[in-house]
Amino acid sequence: MRCLLFISCLLGVMACSSAYQKMQKLNGDANCIESFSPSFSRALYSTKVNVVGKHLSGLLIIKTMPDSSIRMVFTNEAGFSFFDFGFRGDDFTVYHIVEQMDRKAVVKTLRKDFELILMQHIDEVSSNMLKDGREYYHVFQRKGDYYYYITDSACSKLIRMERWSRRKKVMEAIAVDYMMGIPDSIGIKHNNFDFTIELKRIYDHADQ
Amino acid sequence: MRKVIATGVLCLATMIAAAQYPGYTLLADDAAFVTRFSAASQKTSTIKSDFTQEKNLSLLADKIVSKGKFWFKKENKVRMEYTTPFQYLMIINGSDIYVKDSQKENKISAKSNKLFQQINTVIVECVQGKALQGSDFSTRIFEGSSSFLAELTPINKNMKSLFKNINLVIDKKDDAVSKIEMHEPSGDYTIISFVNRELNTTLSDALFAVH
Repeated sequence: MRCLLFISCLLGVMACSSAYQKMQKLNGDANCIESFSPSFSRALYSTKVNVVGKHLSGLLIIKTMPDSSIRMVFTNEAGFSFFDFGFRGDDFTVYHIVEQMDRKAVVKTLRKDFELILMQHIDEVSSNMLKDGREYYHVFQRKGDYYYYITDSACSKLIRMERWSRRKKVMEAIAVDYMMGIPDSIGIKHNNFDFTIELKRIYDHADQ
Repeated sequence: MRKVIATGVLCLATMIAAAQYPGYTLLADDAAFVTRFSAASQKTSTIKSDFTQEKNLSLLADKIVSKGKFWFKKENKVRMEYTTPFQYLMIINGSDIYVKDSQKENKISAKSNKLFQQINTVIVECVQGKALQGSDFSTRIFEGSSSFLAELTPINKNMKSLFKNINLVIDKKDDAVSKIEMHEPSGDYTIISFVNRELNTTLSDALFAVH
């Protein structure tokens, strides 16, 4: 039920989004965002994917490896692995993906979506800050992609995350109810096509 | 000389096979096993069991453990109900598959979803023992003190892309499958262990109803 509420909030927020060009530019420490960077020592999520009318469920495990890279494995409930991705800053590795999902556009979309959530592109060099009313937009650029982290004025709350191309918003996401640096729920919604991902943390043997 | 080399190669292969599965010895002739297992399968009309599923992620040095209840009814009806740490229901009834997660329920025609069909058919055929007789796998049988181990290696390209091999552990007490090990090409593997097995109890068809 809570997850549904988050998604509803997300949809409401999307309707109110404004063009960034009109915003006030500010000097500021965009790296306050680092305090929201999730710390996925090891987390298991129940996962629901809805894409163009199709529904898929499974389990997503996210784990930080000894070399500080982050691994992400998606399996169905019966244990069959769909993909295994590795993230480390700007580096990305596909360790495994089933043939049926092995499409350039699919991999690229998932990579960028999760790079936003994992905050892989936060650095001083590409950072910028904009103000729109009460919301502060911390912007990080990677090639043609813009990663936005929207906070309150004190940078005490991460309201939402967005990814834009040069011209338009591609998707937005929320991560809420952090416990020990791990969000309890994560929601992703794309703007240009019907694609949502909902993650709800579940606790298994490793957490007991 | 040729005979000596052939015997040497055979001995070496047997030793390698034995080393692969400690406690098990490769059966040179599995005809007796096939007869025994086929007879037992013929007599088994239903199975009711608890199960523990352990998904091992080799490169992550991690595993996901889930538990639930399992029902099987001849010829091709399976109900798997995951109860912890998540709720998920899967019913296979002939060519129809019904799944229900915490958000949605779905009736899937196995014909329209090949990946789903292949994975689930493998589970059903492994429980039934049909996988041992089918043409999708080459089979080697190993014998241990309390169980047999059937190693199934995919033959066709499609199945090879999904599984490196599947091992079935068959308990000598009831000649029923007590464990399914599914090894993926990535090195990850899933073990489903069936415990508290009850054979040939009455199971209602309603359990396998695909709405």
